[in-house]
Amino acid sequence: MDHQNNHERFTRLLLEAEPLMLRSILVVVPNRADAREIMQETAVALWRQFASYDSKRPFVNWAMGFSRIETRRFLARQKRRAQLSEQAMEILERELEGDTSFAEAIERHLATCMQKLTEKQRGLIQGYYHENRDVDWLAQHGGRTVEAVYKAIQRIRRDLQECIERQLKKELS
Amino acid sequence: MKDSLDELIQKHLDGRTSTEEAESLSTRIVADKDVRSRYLQAAQIHGALADETLPLEMVAEPETMVVESEPQKVAWQFAWPRQIAAGLVAGIIVGLLGVGMAWAIGTPKAEAQVFDIAHGDFESMAEGPTPTQFPVRFGEWSGNPAEVVKEANGNKILKFVRTANVKGDSDGFASNCSVFQLVDLSALRRQLKVEQSEAQYSLQLSARFRRDPAPSDAELHKPKASLRIFLFNAEPESIGEAWPRAVQMAEALGKKSIKPEPGDDVATISTSCILDSDATVALIAVAASAGFNSKTSIPLGGYFVDDVQLTVIKNPKLPVQVVSR
Repeated sequence: MDHQNNHERFTRLLLEAEPLMLRSILVVVPNRADAREIMQETAVALWRQFASYDSKRPFVNWAMGFSRIETRRFLARQKRRAQLSEQAMEILERELEGDTSFAEAIERHLATCMQKLTEKQRGLIQGYYHENRDVDWLAQHGGRTVEAVYKAIQRIRRDLQECIERQLKKELS
Repeated sequence: MKDSLDELIQKHLDGRTSTEEAESLSTRIVADKDVRSRYLQAAQIHGALADETLPLEMVAEPETMVVESEPQKVAWQFAWPRQIAAGLVAGIIVGLLGVGMAWAIGTPKAEAQVFDIAHGDFESMAEGPTPTQFPVRFGEWSGNPAEVVKEANGNKILKFVRTANVKGDSDGFASNCSVFQLVDLSALRRQLKVEQSEAQYSLQLSARFRRDPAPSDAELHKPKASLRIFLFNAEPESIGEAWPRAVQMAEALGKKSIKPEPGDDVATISTSCILDSDATVALIAVAASAGFNSKTSIPLGGYFVDDVQLTVIKNPKLPVQVVSR
């Protein structure tokens, strides 16, 4: 019974924390498949150690420590892609934890900023991020070259970044 | 500086950096707080887009982007892609033949819409030289000797090869390498209902220039890269026939230039002009010049341009002052 209660409690806490954890992993490991793999490994490690979790502490803070360890383990065994240095990752993780204003601004304004994109741009984001299409597929089906698709995705992200920054400035002024 | 940093960050987010580039980015992240901040923002956007739990409500809406203005500033003072953020845009119409000059002042709200021009990123063009003639049709890049080249990372970009006289006039100057495109504004004007609208429209042209060191650098005294947009109410063929005198027929123009040093970071420049005339055709030109008058062709070698983009900006009717000379 205790085990079942614990399991349910763990599942609920993990489901709540997972989006934030995944987004934090993506900051240092931008490849989405890699980040999801790290998230899986983290979930297993968290469950194994759940008995030691102090429920007076926020679960997400406790869990983030595990995701950092799993990130390092993953990067140590996977050398498929060029990675940031250990020092750069550490400093980014620290600053990300210390300043959540931009992350909060994203939560508040991303939907609004998304709607300012063209239909074509939104379709590209849908394909790349939500349907997990690779760029070759998007290029082939969109009648563009691979480079043009990368450029378009990068431009969209930069436009969204500028849009969120503007919204944040507006709130602060 | 910011442009090339953003480019590197974006490349890393797509998993396309080489080991050396990732090392360089790491060093900059560790050393510079601004770089960290820029990286964190971009990476958090990337993370949020990948987060399927965020309600993004991706419904189709009109293809417009609301932007805030920064009154009293003209758009070309901001680097792309801040052009949209920078908001308004005071368009500039320079009256030709010394008739006068008009300018518009920013207002609180503006809407921007990217207007797709053909091959603005050069990716769908074949590698090799572009046609060496003044364009006669819409949607084609042509002009002085230039070529589309593919970089090591697969990106296609336009390289300015040498200066020339686009009309082949042996007595005329051949001081720059201009590559032009004619853009049909008729459909756009109909869509925007420019004539009936209470709003003021302007067109903003932006492009990213780069200058690499080249053997011919010693021959170039004050070289520069430039961006021009001319609006005409004319048939496309007649513009070419009357070029270069055709500039005197232009209803509006905008221009901007920079003087990059070899090896400088990529620079984005933009220029704009007001679309409240009867203009039916926009002629856009990207160019690199030797920086002095010459009747002979000069090799340029290290000049490149990419990401040419036209943005339509809609403002509430603006106060306009006209100054006669």
